[in-house]
Amino acid sequence: MVFFLQQCLIGLTNGALVAMVALGYTMVYGIIRLINFAHGDLIMLGACLALTIVSVLGMATWAGAGTWLGVVLLVVLCGLFCGGLNVAVDRIVYRPLRNAPKLAPLVSAIGVSFIFMNIGLFWLGPADRSFPELLPATNLLAGEGLQFTAKDLLVIVVVVPLMIALSVLVKTTRLGKAMRAVSQDPTAAALVGIDVDRVIAATFFVGGFLGGAASVIYGLYINTIGFQMGFQNGLYAFTAAVLGGIGSIPGAVVGGIVIGLVRALSSAYVGERWTGAIVFAILIVILVFRPEGLLGRGTKEKV
Amino acid sequence: MPMKARTWAAWLVVGMAVAAGCRPADPTLVKIVSSLPRTGSAKQQSDTIVRGIRMAIEEAGGRVGPFRIEYLDLDDSTAAAGQWTSEAEAANARRALQDPDVMAYIGTFNSGAAKVSMPILNLGDLLMVSPANTAVGLTKPGLGAPGEPEVYRPTGRFNYTRVVPADDLQGPLSADWAKKRGVKTVYILDDNEVYGKGIADLFDERCRELGIEVLGHDSIDAKAQEFKSLMASVKATSPDLVYFGGTTQTKGGQLAKDMASAGIGALFMVPDGCREQVFIDSAGAANLEGRCFVTFGGLPPEKLTGKGQAFVERYRKMFGELPEAYAVYGYEATCVALQAIREVGAKERRAITERALAIRDFDGALGRWGFDANGDTTMQTLTVSVVKDGKFEFEEILDASEEAAAP
Amino acid sequence: MNMSPAPTGPAGEPGSDPLRDRVLAFLRERWDFVALVALAVAPLVVPALGGALGGQVTMLFIYCILALGLNVMVGYTGLVHLGIAAFFGIGAYLFAILTVPMYPFQMRFVTAAAVSALATAGVGLALGAPTLRLRGDYLAIVTLGFGEVVKVTLRNLEQITGGMKGLNPVPPPGAGLKIGGTDLGLAFAIDPRWFYYLALLTLAGVVVAMRRLENSRLGRAWVAVREDELAAEAMGVSATRVKLSAFAMSSAVAGLAGCLYAASLSTTADPNAYDFNRSIMVLCAVILGGLGSIPGTLLGVALLVGFDTVLAPWADSTIQQWNINPSGSSLLSFSGWRLAIFGLALILVMRYRPEGLVPSRRMAAELHEAH
Repeated sequence: MVFFLQQCLIGLTNGALVAMVALGYTMVYGIIRLINFAHGDLIMLGACLALTIVSVLGMATWAGAGTWLGVVLLVVLCGLFCGGLNVAVDRIVYRPLRNAPKLAPLVSAIGVSFIFMNIGLFWLGPADRSFPELLPATNLLAGEGLQFTAKDLLVIVVVVPLMIALSVLVKTTRLGKAMRAVSQDPTAAALVGIDVDRVIAATFFVGGFLGGAASVIYGLYINTIGFQMGFQNGLYAFTAAVLGGIGSIPGAVVGGIVIGLVRALSSAYVGERWTGAIVFAILIVILVFRPEGLLGRGTKEKV
Repeated sequence: MPMKARTWAAWLVVGMAVAAGCRPADPTLVKIVSSLPRTGSAKQQSDTIVRGIRMAIEEAGGRVGPFRIEYLDLDDSTAAAGQWTSEAEAANARRALQDPDVMAYIGTFNSGAAKVSMPILNLGDLLMVSPANTAVGLTKPGLGAPGEPEVYRPTGRFNYTRVVPADDLQGPLSADWAKKRGVKTVYILDDNEVYGKGIADLFDERCRELGIEVLGHDSIDAKAQEFKSLMASVKATSPDLVYFGGTTQTKGGQLAKDMASAGIGALFMVPDGCREQVFIDSAGAANLEGRCFVTFGGLPPEKLTGKGQAFVERYRKMFGELPEAYAVYGYEATCVALQAIREVGAKERRAITERALAIRDFDGALGRWGFDANGDTTMQTLTVSVVKDGKFEFEEILDASEEAAAP
Repeated sequence: MNMSPAPTGPAGEPGSDPLRDRVLAFLRERWDFVALVALAVAPLVVPALGGALGGQVTMLFIYCILALGLNVMVGYTGLVHLGIAAFFGIGAYLFAILTVPMYPFQMRFVTAAAVSALATAGVGLALGAPTLRLRGDYLAIVTLGFGEVVKVTLRNLEQITGGMKGLNPVPPPGAGLKIGGTDLGLAFAIDPRWFYYLALLTLAGVVVAMRRLENSRLGRAWVAVREDELAAEAMGVSATRVKLSAFAMSSAVAGLAGCLYAASLSTTADPNAYDFNRSIMVLCAVILGGLGSIPGTLLGVALLVGFDTVLAPWADSTIQQWNINPSGSSLLSFSGWRLAIFGLALILVMRYRPEGLVPSRRMAAELHEAH
């Protein structure tokens, strides 16, 4: 029983991380129907920056409250970096293709992903790099016989406020309303005076900021980054977004948690080597039987 | 105009093809080719091997007998894959065969790659000396998959040798060492590759023979990012020792990291594929401190004597750092090839290959050793090192002859 | 394909050479025939093709076949397929299972190739049937996921597939067959020109078949579905059936390429050879070369493969020889920039010439229509 609980804990924490990445995917898809292939690699670049900042500032030697301050600093800096990068990419690559057939932005996103990967290759080198342990390793649940440290807690503690903040943004603010309008019908939104390009840029920024935050959490939690980490993580996160209902924010979180749990439990009870196949088989099955995902609304194609 | 773009592109392709094809023979020149993973995460290891090869050629004055030597550093990995690929290896082997000046092929690093090029080079009787392959099936009859190693020798003649002892030494001796150490239960992991799975299976077999309980044996996905759930499963079985058959590139370091963060107190044992500084860095020195043991077929650089020690000193002077474990093997492999070429004195591949395989008493950087009938080295030393203070520290030598004598 | 009128010299120019114009027009219209003859004659003229180069060009032909298979899905029918490598792998592994000594089947080359191509088509049908009604983006993700599932399955089912070792040795075609005293199998094993001609012949066959399909009812149905699925349905074209046939055809051709691949390497290689990287490379080739255009696809493959196997190693070894990069850093090596070059090429092509280098006219018109 303890074993099952432990796996669930791991699944939850992993899932929260996946959810954070999935939020970035879902936001961009929600607004311009683009599968942002480059999102995973954007996060990889954020992690590169985080590693550089940590090394330059010597954060490994900070202690106590200083460490937590450092984490906040990292999140902000990497968030801004990734957000800005995302906006730049949208402006340069995707904006000219707003009216092009679907293939063009999709393939361009793959191209951007390659370029990011190459930057990561130059930044980190071909081998994986270690991200220093910044957080205390004390086991908070040692009494129950479980392993749960500050690292694990951080992941969960960061995702929940972020999701709430994002929902608040989308539901109550003017920008959020504009985002929803553009998502529903860009032409109509333009007709009522919304600056569609600005709103899209803002969405990319928010998605990117979330990615940057995710990259810091990733580094702190997994402690290893490499120039190829974008692909795997991106794939799982996108699966999560689709599973939950692409375009839906709570959906992305639910999808992430489900994917995390499936990975942990399949690794524990089926075998580590089948986990990849199981996750994607689930994806295919979900898409076949319920393409709008768990929390998505079915959209009718207009003629 | 579409025509222009198309024509230009077509001519470019044709031009490249023709250029690639033209290569005349040179009677004063002998080429030595190496096929190693030069892009991707194995690069640091292959860098030191290449340095060893260059050092051997330099010491010979760039000449062997009446010929001058040219060295080609070929890559059997691709930027796309980030590691060795069958296509790249096959292309290297064919390129070496096709070039009439090539007399020796130093390679490969990965045992899986050797399987691809061995049959090709065998057709041309080109001498192949590997500084690093340890999979047993490459040379030892009856120990590998059915058909191995004959399947790698389509002509029936031998052309493959290696200067490093094979896993039939490393795997079982690791289990012997564990037993001696008092280990009662193990959990075995492998990376599902030729080398990693091969040695893990050998370790598994010997453990069962010795009465060590194997609590589990699972293959990991070498592309996964973390192994927290796996480590939770391993922790639940409470092993004394966790063995990983694999390399740094197939996530040996990450496993150690996740093992530590899962709070597993067991010892961690890895084979020579992890014996490099990059492994310690990727795992985090603190996670390995005092509990990680690495086996290596042969002697580590700091333990070499005589010519080997001289090599290490020269390397340190030239490059400002200690060589990695395999550098001296690259050096020795090249010395073997050079000796064979020198003794034959002519550019005849078959004669050179037969001459190399006939070496029975070689006095080199690795000590005094020779090739046996299969092309394996007669060296039977295994060393175990422990990770202390972020470095490999020699622990003990296990000699197979000794172990055979002991109960 | 090209419906230009009878060639005349530049209008009103005195002294224009009618012979030269006729030759140029012939080259332009019957480029495929000219290329076939040139490639067939090449091994007699270029000695290097009897060696390493021959193997590389054979591999190029095999990738061309694979790309033509993908072209059916992405080019003709307009469905993004991110998992073509999975079908490539399934074809290779099925072929290997049917021919290696480990298994009792040990079929002849042609039978084994036919069976595995058909079986791969079957797999395509099985995957396509429930998923082809999905919207374009979702279908792309399904194919991507399927690719991963296949890769992991091939790796894990060791008893059947040999795991990471792959299945080997795959016997050469005609093993044991004697024609006029020469052992066919041995000839294939030793002289790369045999595989060269086999691959060239198969490629020519596939090109001819594709041409026929392009102009057939089915081919036009594919294009109709690509241009406007609802309109096609309204005209009585069953979109699902049409898409399914495209998927099956694409899988069959990819499977056939896989058979040749396994035979020419005499091993299936490890399952990592059939991963997303491979799928993306083939997709890049089709897109850059020209969607829905046979010469475009072939050119795209030639450029990409040429880049990877000729240009990059040449540039790297030149850099090595000139000692520009003594420390071996990726920044100064040519292949270190490979990803960025591909990425940039994709972005630029999508921005300025989405129909590719050698477009099919229809595609060009479609992609540049008034917004």
